[in-house]
Amino acid sequence: MLGCPEAAFRQADGDWQASVTEALRGAFAQHAEENAFYRAQCEAAGVRAEDFAALSDLVRIPLLPVRMFKQPDAHVLMTAPLTDVELEIRSTGTGGVPSVARRDTTTTSRVLTAIFAQYREFFGIGNGAGLFLCPSTAETPEMGMVKAFNVLNGLLDDHAYVVRDYAFDPEEALGRLDAWEDRMTRHIIGPPFLVGRLLRYLEMEDITLKLDPGSHVITLGGWKRYTGESISREEFNAKIEKYLGIPAANVRDMYGMIESNMLAMECEQHRKHVPPWSYISIRDVEDTDVELAPGKTGVIALLDALNTGYPGFILSEDVGEVDHTPCPCGRTGQTVSFRRRLQGAELGCCAVSIEKFIDSQEIVAECEVPQAAPAEG
Amino acid sequence: MARYSPTVVDHFTNPRNAGELEDPDVRAFIGNPVCGDQIMLTATVTDGTITEIRFRAHGCAASLATASVLTEAAQGLPITDLEQWDDAYVTSLLGGLGPDQRHVATLGRQVAHRLVRNHREGVDDEAPLVCS
Repeated sequence: MLGCPEAAFRQADGDWQASVTEALRGAFAQHAEENAFYRAQCEAAGVRAEDFAALSDLVRIPLLPVRMFKQPDAHVLMTAPLTDVELEIRSTGTGGVPSVARRDTTTTSRVLTAIFAQYREFFGIGNGAGLFLCPSTAETPEMGMVKAFNVLNGLLDDHAYVVRDYAFDPEEALGRLDAWEDRMTRHIIGPPFLVGRLLRYLEMEDITLKLDPGSHVITLGGWKRYTGESISREEFNAKIEKYLGIPAANVRDMYGMIESNMLAMECEQHRKHVPPWSYISIRDVEDTDVELAPGKTGVIALLDALNTGYPGFILSEDVGEVDHTPCPCGRTGQTVSFRRRLQGAELGCCAVSIEKFIDSQEIVAECEVPQAAPAEG
Repeated sequence: MARYSPTVVDHFTNPRNAGELEDPDVRAFIGNPVCGDQIMLTATVTDGTITEIRFRAHGCAASLATASVLTEAAQGLPITDLEQWDDAYVTSLLGGLGPDQRHVATLGRQVAHRLVRNHREGVDDEAPLVCS
């Protein structure tokens, strides 16, 4: 299924329900058998793999609260031994304590295959140049957002990362776009706040560009800045059309979190499709054991069948809803909408980490006392 | 070389001296603001010797193992001995580190030195310090 996204995202509803249930039942069985910590949760909840016969049964899968990945004793979450761990992906929120998700070799192979296939399925990108408004993986090898963007890099002919030492220079970004003009289809990839900074620069300098017919703007990361200032999606799309010449249909956002392999990508209808190896269950904010119907807003729980390193059944601190109605794009299954962070949860994602650090650097720069010019003579 | 040395695997999986002393004689806290690795040591020092030491750590498996290894190595030593530790020594305590893990040796060396300095000067770390 991972390598055939065209078919996987267009299953008949009954087939989708059966396949996602079967995949999650298998994943549950593995973790319940091989992970002592998780087995104890399952025994306490009185659930076994045989209990999951239909999609409606998945609500009983015990969930790991996402904040457990921040705890010093997070090793208890592991199903795979550390010797099998290939990637440690992390995200540091506003609180400063990192959330670390350890992916074993099997999970890493699966998730890279899945994300690569999804990029092809949703964006159809196979060439061109990517202007990455984020640090490179060399600079931040463990940052989940950058890692996910870097998979996209493999589909492109050229690229440039224009955030270095946590500083973003919009003039360099424009220089890169200029150098690729008439040679390659130019794409812009980054967290919304940095695309927003580029747009702000273009607006202030009164520069309007006309990128290429197949150009995309692809975003991942928070829409609410750690400063509390929200970025309106409609305004964002309109400015991209005005200043970059890219129509709204080619502005695509993604939703995911480093603790899960689920990465939901937007189709041209701007609906974020949950891949069929994952299931999103919306839970009542007051009682997270209760699953809410599609369309109802609640806490997002992500159930992911790809994960063999630790149980990929995560209760997030995000609030949103799922939609199970047919999408005009023809893809089936669930779509997800993120609304906000749960009240009391810290703002925590890779984009917030980058923004917080860039801003702190800029504040330091602004406060520096200019050095006196050396005396002549 | 495997991605993690057997020592790192052992200390990550079975951390020693995890926690925080309630009434320590000295505390040291070092953190990296970008990657988020953090180690805090608390110790009881009697006649210049570390008699009890605990750690709290957040971050990658190698940094958690570093904190655990440090406490095991420091227990029973004159506190000033820790000042002699360098990155190579911390790496050797860990049984070797991969290229992408070497930052934890610096983190470990700095928090050990910080512990000595804080004890000597009678200061306390209330917030994580920046690891260079």
